[in-house]
Amino acid sequence: MSTQLHTWTWLAWLSAALIAISVTRNLFYLTLILLCLLVVYSFIEGANQRGAYPFSLLRFGILVSVLSMLFNMLISHFGETVFLTLPEKWPLIGGPYTLEALVYGLTNGLVLFGILIAFTDFNQAMPVRMLIRLIPRAFFPVAVVISIAVTFVPTTIRQFYQIKEAQMLRGQRMTSLIDWLPLVMPLLVGGLERALQLSEAMTARGFASTAPNSGNTAHRLVMVGSMLWVMAGWVVSTRAGWETLGLGLILAGALAFLAALWWAGRLVPRTNYLKEEWRTGDVVVLTGILVLGLALFFPFEWIDRESLYYSVYPLLQWPDFDPWLATALLVLGLPAYVIGLRG
Amino acid sequence: MISFHDVSFTYPGASHPALQSINLEIPAGSFVLVMGPSGSGKSTLLRCMNGLVPHFSGGTLNGTIRVADMDPVDASPQVMSRKVGFVFQDPEAQFVLDRVEDEVAFALENLALPPAEIRTRLDATLDLLGLTALRERRLDTLSGGERQRVALAAVMALNPSLLVLDEPTSQLDPEAAEAVLQTLVRLNRELGLTILLAEHRLERVLPFVDQIIYLDGEPGRMLVGDARQVLAEVDLVSPVVALGKYFGWQPLPLTVQEALPFARLVQLPESSDVLISDIQATLPEPVLRIVDLHVFYGLKPILKGVSLYAQGGEVLALMGPNGAGKTTLLRSLIGLMKTEVGEIFLLGESIAGKKTADLARLVGYLPQDPNALLFADRVLDELLYTLHSHAHKPLSHRQNGSVDPETSIVEKAAVMLAQMGMANLAEAYPRDLSVGQRQRVALAAIMVAQPRLLLLDEPTRGLDAASKQRLADLLQTWRDDGHAIILVTHDVELVARLADRVAILEDGVISAQGKPAEVLAASPVFVPQVLQLFPDAGCLTPQQLINRLRSA
Repeated sequence: MSTQLHTWTWLAWLSAALIAISVTRNLFYLTLILLCLLVVYSFIEGANQRGAYPFSLLRFGILVSVLSMLFNMLISHFGETVFLTLPEKWPLIGGPYTLEALVYGLTNGLVLFGILIAFTDFNQAMPVRMLIRLIPRAFFPVAVVISIAVTFVPTTIRQFYQIKEAQMLRGQRMTSLIDWLPLVMPLLVGGLERALQLSEAMTARGFASTAPNSGNTAHRLVMVGSMLWVMAGWVVSTRAGWETLGLGLILAGALAFLAALWWAGRLVPRTNYLKEEWRTGDVVVLTGILVLGLALFFPFEWIDRESLYYSVYPLLQWPDFDPWLATALLVLGLPAYVIGLRG
Repeated sequence: MISFHDVSFTYPGASHPALQSINLEIPAGSFVLVMGPSGSGKSTLLRCMNGLVPHFSGGTLNGTIRVADMDPVDASPQVMSRKVGFVFQDPEAQFVLDRVEDEVAFALENLALPPAEIRTRLDATLDLLGLTALRERRLDTLSGGERQRVALAAVMALNPSLLVLDEPTSQLDPEAAEAVLQTLVRLNRELGLTILLAEHRLERVLPFVDQIIYLDGEPGRMLVGDARQVLAEVDLVSPVVALGKYFGWQPLPLTVQEALPFARLVQLPESSDVLISDIQATLPEPVLRIVDLHVFYGLKPILKGVSLYAQGGEVLALMGPNGAGKTTLLRSLIGLMKTEVGEIFLLGESIAGKKTADLARLVGYLPQDPNALLFADRVLDELLYTLHSHAHKPLSHRQNGSVDPETSIVEKAAVMLAQMGMANLAEAYPRDLSVGQRQRVALAAIMVAQPRLLLLDEPTRGLDAASKQRLADLLQTWRDDGHAIILVTHDVELVARLADRVAILEDGVISAQGKPAEVLAASPVFVPQVLQLFPDAGCLTPQQLINRLRSA
């Protein structure tokens, strides 16, 4: 079983999900988007053979939503549906408490939760190697370092909990800040030990055994020079009447930079054994994303795009619901369909 | 294949050399075991094979090394990686990527091999190590044995002529360890690969090795040669070899199969149960009683109705395959896991709703990685920290950072250190100590609170025979003092030596429990070697058998 769509398909899907989440505050649409993202999450987890455990994610989502709701209710006193009033003289929390502020906070919490699930889906679906490939080959060692850092995060979190538990086993109650200090040293030393082990293992496996052929300094100089060229172009473009010249310089500098990057990449002796293939699933998902893009931004007369821009203020009312838009948003669940078909 | 001529090596800042006057000649195609106590230089010797010593470690190396017609010191580890594959103890610590296939291909891509060749090598390597079905799996979904095979595949893809492994099975249960070792045997016999392996659990590897390098920790003292010759001269041996040496069997058997014809000729006195204690019949209310315990991770049930007890003055060994729920059970007993159904009674009282920090007064728990416990600047401070935590008193510090303790507490800690044989290490920095010493410090930091019940999770992992013996002696002392001890382990020989009762946990349920001889004999995986040789003797260790013969 595989979660593999093409890397660019996943990137397009992630972008579409983030845009969709960002453009609407309509609770109906947000809920629909969240459901799609959660379904994709459960299918990815199933394909990764971990078993579906969306509950910690759900718990986090509920926590974020509740906190956002409470926070907004406490600090924002706009809206007409007042359900509680505290004395105005109480700093910060004094004043009327409105249903509108509560719902607005909930909406923001759902948006944050949606962004988190979208990135979680992307992270779970994309092997680290594919993410490394997105970084220009010239920066390959940097890419590997980043990927290691990314994979270190869950290990470090796991280690943090192990150490915390270990200190509780010695009677520590973790009630004050100073109680947490004993966690720092083992975490730090453990992290350094793991880093050392990994670097030893990578050395033993021949990492960086093939040095770049030549031209290391030259291409770096070209990169720096081209960036200076772009900056010079920007300075020139600020002078009245010299805008075109400035733009030309900027373009020339940018092209020189890209050429230097390509050149540097050629000098890094490394191959990619796996050529990604475009499959029917990619076409399905990308077509869906295109449809969503059109529904969101193309001025079709039969689509009520105003329903996207729903606001709870000044008086809470039911948001509008456009079935065409809702149907278009459902395409965000298409990766689940594709993964399910492959399973 | 391997040639060492008068090789000595000293780590930076060390006063004594880690290796001294090493001379070796290992022919191609050998399966070599490197053995010896902790700190004898085994890992250093292995790291000389690919140049990690001295390139990665620093230090001074003298003498001449040739491995696969190359000089690792001149060539560097990166270049040697094409000839020498190196597999470390913890597979997780050597992974760079997150999927099986990507991890195996990583080194090949670094070598800038043509994609077609990478694909060919990748397919062949995955097939060779039985990983084809797992090629798209994420590494964090694999079992310990599967991960170690992925680590093997990652180095095998480079087509090395020498494979070096530093305790590759120390984290695995017996079945997974056997699978990894069988893979190594296949690589050795089918591909003619030279294998150099460091391992503490000799009974696992002796059936496969044809040469042994024994380092005894004394400068310049080592034995190299045929496995039987070397084992005849050293004390550090497996139970079968120990019996072979005691009875004078020739040729010295290395495996149970080789020893069986000799064992059949041994006349044993009538069997009795004298060596097997029946604690339940003689002791009162148990320290711990677990009734129908169910524990879940999310929706997945881990423990499915476990009922168990532990008496004061007994060692209960809890065994079972990886993933059976053993660690989950221990964590439930100290309040680190939420129990859904069932009850846990400690000294007759339910622990429901009690905090871990409160339970820790009665229950000591040593987790798998004792390093998580150690943070202080001195060994003594580790113990003082526990005592102060239980007394709800913050530690005060002197200007030099060390703890300024009360006299009574210091005495208590000093007594515990003396009991652990570590009085001379009171001022040492805990993380500078050896694996075995660090584990004893962690154990002391737990036991200084005098808990009635002690839980140990894989305490012999990575320990050499001497450290294991010291640990067994300590546990025996505490058992005799009336502490209840629950020992989670895969180490069959330790269980044979120490346990009063054994429980087998499989797939979240207790599938068997009772006297060690009965339970272990009935398990195809956990039978001690002595029991395999003498199934009716009622003895589990060589010493028990020898004692019986002597008393007869």
